[in-house]
Amino acid sequence: MKFREYEAKQIFRDAGIPTPNSELITDAKEAAAALSRVAEKVVLKAQVDVGGRGKAGGILPATAETVDATAVELFGKQIKGLPVEKVLVEEALEITHEYYVSITIDRSKKRPVILFSEEGGVEIETLAKERPEALRRIYVDPSFTVLPDFVVRNVIGTAPKEIGVIVKKLFEVFIKKDAILVEINPLVATPKGIIAADGKVILDDNALSRQGISENRDLTEREKEAEKHGFSYVELDGEIGVIGNGAGLTMATLDIIAYYEGKAANFLDVGGGADAERVCHAVKLVSSMPGVKVIVVNLLGGITRCDEVAKGIIEAGVEQKIIVRIAGTNEAEGKRLLEENNYLMLPTMDEAIRAAVEVCR
Amino acid sequence: MIYAGKETEVLVQGATGSQGRFHINLMNEYAKAVGGAGVTAGMTPGKGGQEVYGVPVYNTVADAVDKHDIGASVIFVPGAGCGDAIMEAADAGIPTIVTITEHIPVHDVMRAVAYAEKCGSKVIGPNCPGMMIPDECKLGIIPANLCMKGDIGVVSRSGTLTYQVISELTAAGLGQSGIIGIGGDAIIGQTFADVVDTFHADGRTRAIVLMGEVGGNLELEGAKRAMDLGIPVVSYIAGVSAPKEKRMGHAGAIVEGGEGDAASKIARLREFGIPTATRPSEIPGLVKELF
Repeated sequence: MKFREYEAKQIFRDAGIPTPNSELITDAKEAAAALSRVAEKVVLKAQVDVGGRGKAGGILPATAETVDATAVELFGKQIKGLPVEKVLVEEALEITHEYYVSITIDRSKKRPVILFSEEGGVEIETLAKERPEALRRIYVDPSFTVLPDFVVRNVIGTAPKEIGVIVKKLFEVFIKKDAILVEINPLVATPKGIIAADGKVILDDNALSRQGISENRDLTEREKEAEKHGFSYVELDGEIGVIGNGAGLTMATLDIIAYYEGKAANFLDVGGGADAERVCHAVKLVSSMPGVKVIVVNLLGGITRCDEVAKGIIEAGVEQKIIVRIAGTNEAEGKRLLEENNYLMLPTMDEAIRAAVEVCR
Repeated sequence: MIYAGKETEVLVQGATGSQGRFHINLMNEYAKAVGGAGVTAGMTPGKGGQEVYGVPVYNTVADAVDKHDIGASVIFVPGAGCGDAIMEAADAGIPTIVTITEHIPVHDVMRAVAYAEKCGSKVIGPNCPGMMIPDECKLGIIPANLCMKGDIGVVSRSGTLTYQVISELTAAGLGQSGIIGIGGDAIIGQTFADVVDTFHADGRTRAIVLMGEVGGNLELEGAKRAMDLGIPVVSYIAGVSAPKEKRMGHAGAIVEGGEGDAASKIARLREFGIPTATRPSEIPGLVKELF
């Protein structure tokens, strides 16, 4: 789950990482008062979750004279399609140098990696590609919960020592928050010291409950509904609804739809051992997506029983045509039930998916 | 040996939960059918002294290891306590630790896998269906009726998709030397390359079916290792149509920062000269073309 900039900065502040003075507002009318408390010169930063926010016009400078109009302008904008509902009024910084620092998890090395550059403020993917020598990568032993000083020295090299202190605190945030990414870009040098001018924190979705977060708000309403039932669910924009069991099999189902030049409406993995009730919920959920013309059910029963799947499909009784491929435990009974109720069944996943694509032609 | 064999005595951690019970029964049915050692001990804190399908349950892994010659553990412990369970198994010196559990916090996995490696243990998973050596042993939840003994090594990040492909391989007369589900999380113990090494050292594998998906770059590393060792590979990568930055069911199945997308993995695999299926159903045909 991603935190917005203002939340990430609060987390940084709580950890003792210096951040600019700022105040969050939800209405343009609050801008002038906020400015009077924050600084004479401010920037208004739209709190939207998109990359390249600055270039898209989501960050605007303002003073006491211009702040009302600027706030109205920003709240009236869409940044890459997203409405601006919250704005951070933040002191404008006098920047003398920009650094980059982040901590994430390296999948191949199976350990945290700290990325540091003395050339911050640019997009990090671009820097990594164009000037890889300007980006330092330091891997950290996973048993460390506090960053040892020698690692800090390896990270910052000859950069100011204040930065080392921040790196150490950032690592504390990474560990304490179960983060999969913490990033400060840019980390800036100012006459007042080193300050985190922007911030990003992404939490591990598998650790939300122990972080005291009950709901992942990155999800849409339907995705939340799916999560309640224990489904893995992703919305796409096609017309073929997809229900599968197991992430790999369901992904393969989407790929075969694309292979036959169809468009999938979603990804839904019902998980292992789904009973009639869960299957019924899944079918209804997929059916409720606008634009779904046909639903393909591709289930391979190991723990999942085919008769339960059939009952769930029949019970849901949705409008759209359903094409079924089931195999495994209690297959004969499942097929008998579906046949009695006139559902189209095909023996292989390729055939079932192809038939679903044909329905949309 | 590919992580375990007929003689390997297995411990199940989380033995008294519904998953643990159900699969102890299935694993031991298989062990009985092939004349293997199977699950000889279970472990659940506080449940010591109980039995599950005749298997004695212990309070700690140390107790179980004290009484039995355990060669592998299969873990069904729920996510929040699972990192701890992996470390307990490693601490007791169990060489192979198969972790079925999904939804373990990634920091826990990182720490547990690193600790296990320090102890000299190999972790398979987490978030995996476990492993099967046809006619020898079943450690995990792979349906045994789909498998057939042979010389094709199967290594995969997914569960049901693996079942699908094994059943097609079996139907095509292509038996398997071992089926290893390495798991769908971002951090896993044994990687594709590690499993390839194990197949190679064991020497009974003539070709490898490598099934990957979006996220990370471990497939390429594994395919390269197999080529270096002279074992032919057929691959399949799921998730060509997966959108960026969306988690496709598995915690590790996500395209991040433009890295780990299926199309570029497939392109790289094909550059290496590795036959790569577009649909899973093409895999048996591609394997047959190798010989």
